[in-house]
Amino acid sequence: MKALSLHKKLEENSALLIFGILLVSAIGGLVQVLPSIYQESLRTPEDGTRPYSAVELTGRDIYMREGCATCHSQQIRSLVAEVERYGPYSRAGEFVYDRPFMWGSKRTGPDLHRIGGKYSDDWHRIHLIDPRSVIPASIMPAYPWLAERPVRTDDIQAKLRGLRTLGHPYADEDIDNAPAELEGLTELDALITYLQMLGTGFDESAAGEGGNSP
Amino acid sequence: MTTQQQYYQDEVVKRLVQFSVAWAVVAMAAGVYVAAELLWPTIDFGQPWLSFGRLRPLHTNGIIFGFGVSALMATAFYSVQRTSHVPLFAPRLAWFVCYAWQLLVLLGGLSLLIGWNTTKEYAELEWPFDIAIAVLWVSFAIIFFGTIARRRIRPIYISNWFYGALIIVIAMLHIVNSLALPVSLTKSYSLYAGAQDAIVQWWYGHNAVGFLLTGGFLGMLYYFLPKHAGRPIWSYKLSVISFWAFTYSYIWAGPHHLHYNAIPEWVQSLGVVMSLILLAPSWATLINGVMTVSTAWEKLKTDPALKFIVLSLAFYGLATFEGPMMSIRSVNVVSHFTDWTIGHVHSGALGWNAMITYGTFYYLMPRLVGTELYSTRLANVHFWLALAGTMLYIISMWAAGVSQGLLWLSLDDTGELAFGFRDIMASMAPYYGLRLVAGLIFLGGTLLMAYNFYMTTRSRTTVRVEPPIVDPAYGVVT
Amino acid sequence: MDRTISRYLFFRTLYEPKVTFEVLAESDPSAWKVFSGYSVWLLLLPPVFSWIGAYNFGWRLGAAEPLMLATSTLTLISIAYFLTLLFGFYSTAVISRWMAATYGASSSFGRHAALITIVGQPLAIASVAHLFPNVFFNVLVMIPTMLWSMYLLYSGIPIALETPPERGMLMASSLVGWLLVAAVSLLGLTMGLWTAGLGPALGV
Repeated sequence: MKALSLHKKLEENSALLIFGILLVSAIGGLVQVLPSIYQESLRTPEDGTRPYSAVELTGRDIYMREGCATCHSQQIRSLVAEVERYGPYSRAGEFVYDRPFMWGSKRTGPDLHRIGGKYSDDWHRIHLIDPRSVIPASIMPAYPWLAERPVRTDDIQAKLRGLRTLGHPYADEDIDNAPAELEGLTELDALITYLQMLGTGFDESAAGEGGNSP
Repeated sequence: MTTQQQYYQDEVVKRLVQFSVAWAVVAMAAGVYVAAELLWPTIDFGQPWLSFGRLRPLHTNGIIFGFGVSALMATAFYSVQRTSHVPLFAPRLAWFVCYAWQLLVLLGGLSLLIGWNTTKEYAELEWPFDIAIAVLWVSFAIIFFGTIARRRIRPIYISNWFYGALIIVIAMLHIVNSLALPVSLTKSYSLYAGAQDAIVQWWYGHNAVGFLLTGGFLGMLYYFLPKHAGRPIWSYKLSVISFWAFTYSYIWAGPHHLHYNAIPEWVQSLGVVMSLILLAPSWATLINGVMTVSTAWEKLKTDPALKFIVLSLAFYGLATFEGPMMSIRSVNVVSHFTDWTIGHVHSGALGWNAMITYGTFYYLMPRLVGTELYSTRLANVHFWLALAGTMLYIISMWAAGVSQGLLWLSLDDTGELAFGFRDIMASMAPYYGLRLVAGLIFLGGTLLMAYNFYMTTRSRTTVRVEPPIVDPAYGVVT
Repeated sequence: MDRTISRYLFFRTLYEPKVTFEVLAESDPSAWKVFSGYSVWLLLLPPVFSWIGAYNFGWRLGAAEPLMLATSTLTLISIAYFLTLLFGFYSTAVISRWMAATYGASSSFGRHAALITIVGQPLAIASVAHLFPNVFFNVLVMIPTMLWSMYLLYSGIPIALETPPERGMLMASSLVGWLLVAAVSLLGLTMGLWTAGLGPALGV
């Protein structure tokens, strides 16, 4: 068979084999991933979506550090039951400032994409320090250390500058004032500030019928 | 050319096997611990470093990079030498990679406990570790392909294509997905944002499974199964077709992790189609494996470890069937975000990856030190524990996952949600209990194996094996 | 069907499975007689028990209120359940016979049908747990039952189908592989049909 004798050449030449593997495996990525990098709809923020403030960003980084995304998703699917339970389904434009994305792959706890404004600051405070005092059957870990630790103020400017390099529109004053904004806050304060803005950057009445159909 | 160059470099293989077993115990123990935390959340004792969110990536990274990669390096080094009939290229680099990799996994694991976490799954380690991984991976490539370039036998055997694909594709995936801008020594921000990051991440994440957990271990299968069975692979043509079809189609399946998410629908649909197409090369390999072993049944009398490989094929069949099935949207609607996904992962990780590694190690370890396995009875007990643990894990997670998925979507007569989230998840506890038992059983079996190997290798040295003379008909003219 | 076989199958498998397999190896029963005299009645047990249980207690998936369905729905579900089990039984026997040549086993279809019946019998009897349709309770009952069934499969194939133990082990493992795939397909198919509308309302 001609194909097999051609293959014998591949089998006897390691350079050809390496090149062949690279070529064949690269195709899928080029087709699926590359267009998304340039697709405008995935890069255009929704109307109410803005870069994270210094406090919100600090809170988000704490969320990442504690591995919250392991149990909580931030992606409401375009399904009737999900929209009923969590609110309007997630649009791509709401995540343009999320580095990295935290859509999650498991719900041991509820989705948090539109948790912003649903519970009071005090509720979050009590819940994070001891989940079972609010929800007896909860299996969420407690995070008492967040209330005891002040936020770091020494790296926020580097973080904001880094994000600006990546394209987030921060003004010079935002960066200059950042450490002052963090003054006196605990990690718990920052995390709650982040949670309270989640999903609030989306106005459903203003949005069209875009997004995915089920 | 010193006399050492005339022997295969098997000491480094043995060391990597030992490290792999050690990581299996540590990472599975971490898995058991986090499984227990899902039942009794206060067993983190208020300590950040014992908290579920920080321990879970320790489990996943420990298994994939500690247990899995060490096993792949060990078996790649062992088999590439013997299929090339030359000792390992750059043996001192191989030793460096061996120890540096373990240090990387250890320090990386500790960094996760501290909280240096990118949250991108199976790529949680921050940028200094990403660079270290890239350096060590390139070194791995140099050793592996260097040995192949030096080979004294003309054709490159198929197991080497799979190990080669493992090395090349993982390098591509890791480098592209890990691209980030560092803002401090321990923190970076992903080059990609939002929906774009999701697509890149799951292009990486799915193919980490595809080329590390599947492709690399298929390399293991293609070398060690014929060795174990004393028979060649059943069909050469099938292996050629399935290799290229596998390498081509696996890459496209990533978007099935993102159904009904905020990515373009055409990308999702493409993910479905290619996931279904992927079934063919996966099962072609399965058939090759099953038919090869079916001709070698007499070996089962004297080689109980062959049982591990036989069952690993059955679970490989299950996992590679279940995956495409779960990528169909009408099934994914129920399974996404649930414990069904966890069950699917573990049917592959326990049933396929762990079992074929264990079967291979039971073959390899005694041979490396030139003796019989210390206790075949313990190996048999281990087999039944591994099978029981895997089955219990799968069944408990299927039940939990399907329950969650359906209950989350259930509407009552008025079209309102029928059940509250808290109530649904509270009722999962019994299944988490079964899963904990399953994990303990599986870990118990693994400990038996570790003990068995310790007793086998105790006060024995690695055997020195010379590469055989090559038949000029197959030889390379140097 | 041979009366001797039926007596053995019903009681003796429970405490003397090896003898049953040996008796089976000495006979080549007619597949139809095995099915009509024995298998079909075992296959009816799970659908009947689940109908009774769902009618009296309602479905409980674990959370709060039990789901009570109309009798017409319950009947449809039980019929579908029976047809699925029928398909599973028949396809497994056919696949088992198809594999026989590879593993040097007897190719008498009647023997394969009888063997699959014996292996499935514990599960059929344990389906009495369907009388209380709580998912976790049923899972708890089914797990040890399934372990027993697998033991019957692995110990029965070499004896009943007259093949060396090692080949029997390989064949049993291949059948386990098929059964895993069949089980997960059933799961997927059920989910696919349910989300397409064939079942209690889902907000998809």
